[in-house]
Amino acid sequence: MENDKGPKGYHDVGGDPAGDIPMADLPWLHWEKQVEAIRGLLGDGTRRIVSLDEVRRGFESFGVEKYNTLSFYRRRLEAMTDILIEKGIVSRAELDEAIEAGKLRWTDVDTPS
Amino acid sequence: MKRFAAGDIVQVLALGKTGHVRIPHYIRNQIGRVTEYCGTYLNPEDLAVGNTAGRAVDLYRVAFSQRQLWPDDVIPQHDTLVIEIYDHWLAPAKETPNAP
Amino acid sequence: MPHDQGEHEALVIEDEAGNIEAQIVVDALQEVLIGKGLLTALEVTSAIAKLESPGIHLGAQVVVKAWTDPDYRARLRSDGRAAVQELKIPVTEARIIVVENTPELHNLITCTLCSCYPRSILGQPPSWYISKAYRARSVREPRRVLAEFGLDLSENIQLVVHDSNADMRYLVLPEPPEDLERFSLHELEALISRDHLIGVAREVA
Repeated sequence: MENDKGPKGYHDVGGDPAGDIPMADLPWLHWEKQVEAIRGLLGDGTRRIVSLDEVRRGFESFGVEKYNTLSFYRRRLEAMTDILIEKGIVSRAELDEAIEAGKLRWTDVDTPS
Repeated sequence: MKRFAAGDIVQVLALGKTGHVRIPHYIRNQIGRVTEYCGTYLNPEDLAVGNTAGRAVDLYRVAFSQRQLWPDDVIPQHDTLVIEIYDHWLAPAKETPNAP
Repeated sequence: MPHDQGEHEALVIEDEAGNIEAQIVVDALQEVLIGKGLLTALEVTSAIAKLESPGIHLGAQVVVKAWTDPDYRARLRSDGRAAVQELKIPVTEARIIVVENTPELHNLITCTLCSCYPRSILGQPPSWYISKAYRARSVREPRRVLAEFGLDLSENIQLVVHDSNADMRYLVLPEPPEDLERFSLHELEALISRDHLIGVAREVA
């Protein structure tokens, strides 16, 4: 029986059927490095605010639809944010405010489609 | 202290835990052979919920016969898979014809 | 919006708008965290520089040292982390396990649960390594996966797949080219690719 092996998360894909390997080696973008840098800093020995395993728990409990829609570092960014909100370190409102301000700055120089 | 040594036959448990675990579904209930003791590490199941004060757990590398993992597939007899398993996911087991 | 490449959600990538949105969101998060005194912009900049400095050139140094110095090779096999650090490469992973290819054995590294990788030595994993297709298939049909990379592994050679699911990180030590002495250390390093160190390539020549 498969189900006597316990819960299987949607991220737990080892052995699942899947298509050809996408032979891509895409450049590592600045925002992706920034996500990884902030995650590393928040988890370092002087801070210990968010651990990698907490971030993993975050994206493992997104729900499969959200998980499959977000790219690798976007998952990490959203999960890290969820954990920070869960711990009361930042609030959704202050983040949204900063995001809105950021969008205004962007639309001044360019108009994203 | 450490319960297993290299060469011991072990079975991976299916603990039925929800939440963040690092023991993938495909390896649960399988029987393999310990290849190496890796030392003690904080339990990721504790770390995932922000508990950094939990007890450190023993970690082992365990080898499995690929034929045993995927019995429906055609696989050379000597192919193996090695994966890390925390102590609380392991039980002692008896030799099977397929253990690597 | 991000979108899938192919029907198996093999690799989710952002389009231009998605990348801009993500940049805005991470800038906003950084700004809020700085406002609370939890980190500084300088710390983020220097953390990014640290993320950028490792790469395949470091892995290649380790391999060539192991090929040309048998004592080093023994140390590398028994304590990978300490041996890598001997070469002044800072290692942040708890342990590095170096698995050695031989004429009878081939090693392949994967991480089925996420995308664990020896980042402090090799840098960022390639996109295909984090794809669902590689994570899913590398443990079940690794020989077919190798074939997609152009490596037809003889059935006489034992294939060992390492799933880096927990605290260990892995590096493959490939076999040296037969005519090792013909090359300078520099030339040898240039022969080694990231694919060799993950195990999706085998021959170095």
